[in-house]
Amino acid sequence: MDFFGFFTDPVLRGPTIGSMLMCLVAALVGVIVFLRKQSLIGEALSHAAYPGVILGVIVAGIFSIDESNDLTIASMIMFGAFVSSLAGLWSINYLQKKWRIRSDSALCFVLSTFFGIGLTLASQVQISYTSLFRKLPAYLFGQAATMNDIHIYIYVVLALIVVFTIILMFKELQTLTFNPDFAESIGISSRYINGIFCILTVLAIVIGIRSVGVLLLSAMLIAPAAAARQFSHRLPVLFFLAGFFGIISGYFGNYLSITLSHHATAEYPNSKMIIPSGPMIILVATLICIFALLFAPERGLIMRFMRASYFRFNCLSENILKSLWRLDREHAATIKTIYSSQHISVIYLRFILYTLKRNGWIQTVNGSYQLTNDGKKRAAKIVRLHRLWEVYLAEYLGVGSERVHRNAEEMEHILTPEIERELTVLLKDPKWDPHHQRIPQKEAYEYV
Amino acid sequence: MQKEDKLTHPVFQADQVTVNYDKTSVLWDISLKVPSGKLVGIIGPNGAGKSTFIKAALGLVKPISGSFFYFGKPLKEVPLQVAYVPQRETVDWDFPITVKDLVLMGRYGKLGLFKWPRKADKEAAEYYLNQVGMTAYKDRQINQLSGGQQQRVFIARALLQEADIYFMDEPLSGIDHATETVIMNILRQLQQSGKTIFVVHHDLNTVQTYFDWIVMLNTRLVACGAISEAYNSDTLQKTYGKSYSLFDEALKLSNNKASGLL
Repeated sequence: MDFFGFFTDPVLRGPTIGSMLMCLVAALVGVIVFLRKQSLIGEALSHAAYPGVILGVIVAGIFSIDESNDLTIASMIMFGAFVSSLAGLWSINYLQKKWRIRSDSALCFVLSTFFGIGLTLASQVQISYTSLFRKLPAYLFGQAATMNDIHIYIYVVLALIVVFTIILMFKELQTLTFNPDFAESIGISSRYINGIFCILTVLAIVIGIRSVGVLLLSAMLIAPAAAARQFSHRLPVLFFLAGFFGIISGYFGNYLSITLSHHATAEYPNSKMIIPSGPMIILVATLICIFALLFAPERGLIMRFMRASYFRFNCLSENILKSLWRLDREHAATIKTIYSSQHISVIYLRFILYTLKRNGWIQTVNGSYQLTNDGKKRAAKIVRLHRLWEVYLAEYLGVGSERVHRNAEEMEHILTPEIERELTVLLKDPKWDPHHQRIPQKEAYEYV
Repeated sequence: MQKEDKLTHPVFQADQVTVNYDKTSVLWDISLKVPSGKLVGIIGPNGAGKSTFIKAALGLVKPISGSFFYFGKPLKEVPLQVAYVPQRETVDWDFPITVKDLVLMGRYGKLGLFKWPRKADKEAAEYYLNQVGMTAYKDRQINQLSGGQQQRVFIARALLQEADIYFMDEPLSGIDHATETVIMNILRQLQQSGKTIFVVHHDLNTVQTYFDWIVMLNTRLVACGAISEAYNSDTLQKTYGKSYSLFDEALKLSNNKASGLL
């Protein structure tokens, strides 16, 4: 089956489009949940939806609705989930406000109580409505495969409601999430806006339980938002990216679930294996998230590691320039002399010396190393920053002169020209450092 | 204290306000009036209820009893005439927003529910960003700002509200000298154009040079009046001295008893 086949095939388009819509909605709502650091809310509310799912099934059973009447059963289950999730939300608020229970305790209490009630009811369904009971695992782990066009219609309407509400309330949500006190002071009612947002969260959960299931749903709220945060500093972009990652997770999770199920059935024809879509969708979303955490250009771990390594490399280079400057400004130093003052391996030292030479800071004379004219200026500049900082620490911050060296050793690589200028003015361009060593003056490091 | 009670047209008035808030910061029976066009310092020791007073005045914290009046009316009738600068530390500076979008929030109150900012609002935001000297940073992410720059951005946001009364919670704490000068100049300009500014302040050395009206709080109101009359060693002693600690203790005890904790 090719890419478009999943959108046109009458059996496959239900699960495909359904999963994508559900992941889109969850990802959008998730952005705000993520920024408010309320991941547990999603977890609690999705679990709280479970007894509602079961009640929906029981009601369907009581009215002996035919198993093939998908629309009615699906609506009943979704309505049940919506109501019980809202009841969960209300219980959490009640516990926090009236009983003064801490929010994490309240969340856990509601999560386990509601889920427990759901499981108890489920065992009842197993006895009384055996045929309907077979539908239940789909809501625990998500089973997109049995969705059809009717589900798409429901999901499209719900998804549109969520998307438009978020667009409409963008500035209110932004302000309330960033600075609740200020928002309230300019007349944004946290009660109403947060109330509406809670309903959106519950809607996202209700839409999501069919394809991801109550157990894994909170991951779908957080993973796309966390991935998107790695790439952007702007809230609108964050929404777009998270939505995009959500849609991708929905498509490929569903794709994996269907193709893997095919393979499994081909391999073991008698077992009738079905790979649930929920874990597959979460798997894809998590992979995207891990990829973002590792490779994002600014915040990604790998880029940060590389920048940190480069910084260390730069510090070492400057330290070597400095020691050459101190050892003997005019004559060359052998690699042995340099090595004795550095705490690095000889190979690394040779590599640094090689790059320093290639960049024109040092030159070799009969196998020994010597600063070039440019190198002398750069070294003088580093020494100046070091000693200026020492003076600042000793004179302005009252740090004992025996303790200033260490900190200055670090700061000499960090101080910017602006800070240097301010230091020079503040300290009145001092000539001597606290150890009575000369501070290199302008003519030593500036080009004339 | 008798003197300002005679004020006939106070721009701001608190009437027997008592706040019991999270059991720690408490305000007890505060009544005061402030005339228009004053630069008002609010001082008092830690936990004296300075922030709580501002929050209660803005309706963010509900007093148990008492009420506030702006131009003789409750806040509900004049919401857009009051601007607020919260404490810098109360927000998450890693939030994904740029400097100019943060400032733009100052217009959200005027825009009303569900409306998007217009070009005019953005131009105004840029104008006030320039006034606090932050134009060069307008497209920066807010987590790249220093403490002083964060404060300037917060001030710009409040300026964009173009209100008549400003409440600022410790705008001068933890910032560099240059920013302090910039902010004080802006506050004086605001005052000259007839606005009233309330500033929660910590540095007693600068109180007399910065403010012309003072509110001294320590759970109860110690003094409120022109700085030349109300601010003296006697009131300072009362505000920061030990005489109130017994009162505090008794109040806490009574709160705990009332809520059944003791």
